[in-house]
Amino acid sequence: MSTSNAIVYVVDDDASICKSLSLLLKANGFKVEAFTNAEEFLGFKHPKLQSCLVLDIQLPNINGFALQDLMAQRGIITPIIFITGYGDIPMSVKAMKAGAIDFLPKPFTEKKLLNAITLALSKSKIQNTKEAEVAKIKARIKTLSPRELEVFQFVAQGMMNKNIASKRGTSLQTIKVHRGRVMQKMQAKTVTELIHFAQKVGLIPQIT
Amino acid sequence: MKKKLNIKSNILKVKKPLVKKITRNNLEEKVLQQTDELRIREGQLKQGANRERLSANREKLGADREKIAEEQIHIQNKAMEATSDGIFIIDTQRPNFPIVYANPSFFALTGYSKSEIIGKSYFQIYGADRNLRVSQEIEQTLRQGKSFHGEMLNFRKNGKKYWCLLRIAPIRNATGVVTHFVGTKTDTTLMKQRDLEIEEQREELLHVTRVGKLAEFVSSLAHEISQPLTAILSYAQAAQRLLKEKDPQVREILQYIINDDQRAAEVIRRLRSLLKKNKPSFETLDINEVTNDTVTLIMAHITAKNKVIKLDLGSNLPLIQGDRIQLQQVLLNLISNSLEAMEENPASHNLFVKTSLKNDTILVQVKDSGCGIPQENMKKLFAHFFTSKPDGLGMGLSISRSIVEAHDGHLEASNNPKGGATFYFTIPVNRKND
Repeated sequence: MSTSNAIVYVVDDDASICKSLSLLLKANGFKVEAFTNAEEFLGFKHPKLQSCLVLDIQLPNINGFALQDLMAQRGIITPIIFITGYGDIPMSVKAMKAGAIDFLPKPFTEKKLLNAITLALSKSKIQNTKEAEVAKIKARIKTLSPRELEVFQFVAQGMMNKNIASKRGTSLQTIKVHRGRVMQKMQAKTVTELIHFAQKVGLIPQIT
Repeated sequence: MKKKLNIKSNILKVKKPLVKKITRNNLEEKVLQQTDELRIREGQLKQGANRERLSANREKLGADREKIAEEQIHIQNKAMEATSDGIFIIDTQRPNFPIVYANPSFFALTGYSKSEIIGKSYFQIYGADRNLRVSQEIEQTLRQGKSFHGEMLNFRKNGKKYWCLLRIAPIRNATGVVTHFVGTKTDTTLMKQRDLEIEEQREELLHVTRVGKLAEFVSSLAHEISQPLTAILSYAQAAQRLLKEKDPQVREILQYIINDDQRAAEVIRRLRSLLKKNKPSFETLDINEVTNDTVTLIMAHITAKNKVIKLDLGSNLPLIQGDRIQLQQVLLNLISNSLEAMEENPASHNLFVKTSLKNDTILVQVKDSGCGIPQENMKKLFAHFFTSKPDGLGMGLSISRSIVEAHDGHLEASNNPKGGATFYFTIPVNRKND
């Protein structure tokens, strides 16, 4: 596991837990940022790295579940591992339903924590890759002229060149030129790939 | 007859001076004297007749009185026969204290027949009740001529138990000597049973409350302990990680720390799993029924503290889903708190419990006229281990709140504008019966 460019956040109101978990995770080669309340974590400038959050449920003011909601609202995407001193089942069900990676009742062993972190970071990696890909596609779309963007959308919807031409009231030849430029600027080798790009950025609905 | 004779002698006495006066030959005087005499005699005769009439009247009155007294005795006898209390009379002038009278209810209550009771020593009969200590106490008291009062378990002739309230009072003659005792036996079995049932229910509730308190206490304790255990475990494992293969002996020691930390963690896990068995059992409930039941349980306590509870139960309230015992526990806790708050203020007597419908929830309010809640305590009121009582655990309100929240409701408190505090909670109405 490559840990050098991964960051683990720890949020727990107990300073001893923050300190001990930081030491343990650093000893395992992770970058660690620990906070004793949700507000500090939200105020932190999150680097674009693989990351996960080890989050205590019982926190003053904003508790773990409320922080999970706030992160979703603010677009802070990092997988969450909940930890709690009150190990009850309804709570863990709630946490898992809300998309948590794991729910660890305190005290937990290094092994359990590392397993959960490995899983969380791999999910984070996928999320980051997806995010990076979307960003790349969005950047390419920005280079299209308004006319090319229009043609891109028609092609992505599966329209034939002649249909596009008649809809636009232009010649088939013009559409072919636009289409060629779209393929080139979007760096798409096939029409199928172009359609995938459109789906990924939400230009057309994804088929799942 | 004596009085009549007296009148005759008076007439004779008067005659003598009359003769004297005639010899004086004063006719006028004589006439006057005779007239006077006649008047006196008439008066005397009249008086005599009156006396006779009076005495006749008196005799008649005496007869009437006797009749009334007879009637009264008759009614009193009838009353003795009619009352459902067992009544008996003991003659103390004979050494064995025999029963000289017992009414039908006494025979019905004890199961003995008239011939088995009348003329027999009261102490022997009581001895048949097999309650030696009590019978000895009664004998001692009666032999001293004192009255006895007590509630006890008795046995009928057929051996069946019954609770009995026994009162025996001395009857004295004109000189103050105790000649008899009158005893009253009341069957209190039903009342006793009801009291015992209430007592049992209260005990059960107290037990549940104690278990609940313990559960909450252990749960809080488990949390408090699991925090440092987590830190210790992580520190030890971090140290092991940093040591790598360098110092096997220190690594081994660290492993011992880790093992014992996990042993402690296991104890906590087992405690937690034990407590999870206390799951609430939900059923369809009428909040007014729950309130009435709870008030019945604590009524004796309220009366003993010289306080008055006033119920204002909303009519036609929708049903709720809830755990009967747990909700009783919440109400009991709120009412006892209010009573304690009012204890410090002897001038306050009234405690109000109100149920009503508010939006889609049942609202239950417990309002007291006690000392109120100091502003600085308002925030901490429902926290674990917070208490303003010298011997409080600080669990009551925090448990009550967690119970209400498990019912999807809220428990809050506020001070009343005119003094005292109100605790109120909501429980959503049962949507199934809409």
